[in-house]
Amino acid sequence: MTSTHPLIQVRNLDLHFGAFHALKNVSVDFHAGELIGLVGDNGAGKTTLIRVLCGIYAPSSGEVFFDGKKVEKFHPKLAIDQGIETIQQSVGLCDNLSIARNFYLGREPVKRILGIPFLDFARMREKSTRVIRQFGLRDNVSADDEVERLSGGERQSVKIGRAVEFKNRVVIMDEPTNHLSVREREHVNELAVQLKEQGLLVIYITHDIFQVHRLADRIVIMENGEKVADASTSSMTAEELEEVIRQGGRVVEKQEAV
Amino acid sequence: MKQLVRGQGFGAIIGVAVMLAVFTLIDFSGWWTIQTISNVTQFTAILAFVAMGQALVIMTKEIDLSVGSVYGLAGVAFITVEPALGVPASFLVALGIAALVGLVQAIAVVKGELPSMIVTLGGLFTARGIIYVWTGGSVHNFSPDARSHPLTRLLGGELFGIEAAILWLVAIAVILSLVLWATPFGNRLLATGGSRESAESRGVRTDRVKIAAFVLCSLLAGFAGILTLCNQPQTHVTLGENMELEAIAAAVIGGCLLTGGRGSILGAILGALIVVSFRYELIALGAPSSWYITFVGVVLITAVIFNQKLARFLGHSV
Repeated sequence: MTSTHPLIQVRNLDLHFGAFHALKNVSVDFHAGELIGLVGDNGAGKTTLIRVLCGIYAPSSGEVFFDGKKVEKFHPKLAIDQGIETIQQSVGLCDNLSIARNFYLGREPVKRILGIPFLDFARMREKSTRVIRQFGLRDNVSADDEVERLSGGERQSVKIGRAVEFKNRVVIMDEPTNHLSVREREHVNELAVQLKEQGLLVIYITHDIFQVHRLADRIVIMENGEKVADASTSSMTAEELEEVIRQGGRVVEKQEAV
Repeated sequence: MKQLVRGQGFGAIIGVAVMLAVFTLIDFSGWWTIQTISNVTQFTAILAFVAMGQALVIMTKEIDLSVGSVYGLAGVAFITVEPALGVPASFLVALGIAALVGLVQAIAVVKGELPSMIVTLGGLFTARGIIYVWTGGSVHNFSPDARSHPLTRLLGGELFGIEAAILWLVAIAVILSLVLWATPFGNRLLATGGSRESAESRGVRTDRVKIAAFVLCSLLAGFAGILTLCNQPQTHVTLGENMELEAIAAAVIGGCLLTGGRGSILGAILGALIVVSFRYELIALGAPSSWYITFVGVVLITAVIFNQKLARFLGHSV
């Protein structure tokens, strides 16, 4: 299931924000076709770690390799171009735009008329309609509807559908099921597994170890900016992993929020 | 039709219809005369240029208070530089100065991460101060040669019996609407105003989008100043004073939300029409001219309430 060399390899990563040591010597490998549960309490450094992976923060020291090549520059646009997609709860869709316009935001298909790039509305509508049907939005939602009409689960579905449609290689889901109804949560979790089965690397961030243990191939636990555990779900039960989180939480003092 | 009703400018369309109906009914002073319509449309066109630029900036969730001063500065530059450079070159210099003011303010807002209200308030005072220093408070005029220059006549005269400013307004409004609604740039501009974080997460360079919006806004204000002076080639230091407030009022009456991401070019033009018509009608009715500002205030507040009710009725979460 996993390929021979890791898709993302993080080596001895350190990140300082002024005096605050946000990531401490983190090393971890992620393979294509894996679903990784990245678990830890608030302020453990999991979101900071993925912000490095999606180009928002540059590390203070250490190396990141993507598909065997060392990453030299960190910028969100570069990460997106490489096929790293981050799905966050509150970010990613503009309420004032239609689903079709959101779908292609930043990489709009164009038809040139007299050399002027005009939006190719037909293509935007057709493709995004197909995806929203495939990802289970209500039948009365059309691609021309503004995103503000959608429920939380539907928004997540649109974002996930967009990640699949653009042939991404890595999908990072940051607390994807917060504020969702039970049924919507199940739907999003199914989508995460589907993505993995299509050969993508899925990094699923949560603090609910029990939820992600059912889905993930491997769990990485972070605590206070350090990686404290990295185990396949077949080798450790959710209860054992939860115990690790509790232990980690006890030895450190109360920490700052990132 | 559905597009039109859901569009942000729909409230302004209703507003204009109601206003025209009322003015027709209380027609003491001859609203529907060539003279009135010609004056109202001329002033509307000038204000509409400034309001359209303002609308673009408001749609990116910023605001530009400097447009009145930029309008004045570009106009003064156009007239003052003309004896040395000729009409076409001074036209370009004036537009260049306007664009430069927009660029400097935009960089301060975007790179300095400062509130645009403060930066452009500074721009308002700075540009107005430059007008005072530059003109020394004196009045400048075009020479007869410059008045009859083809470019002056193209910008300020009449073409095919219609005020040139109207034709320029229609052409530029169509282009801006197309850019806003039918190009990738427009999509990114609306996204920047709707949710800057989300736009950035999709790789949109929101800093560049905002800079472009500010520069366009200043260019439009500068162009309006030049059009005014081509029509009446005489400067005075108060040229464009309070215009930023009228432009913001016009954009807001036209359906722009200060929360960003929503607005309409057509709405801004109709908003300008409403503001200018009220001024004209009040003067025509013999009301003291100072009443005009009060009425603009009342219309503005009424329009905002109406637009909000309309948006909620149409199912937007405003």
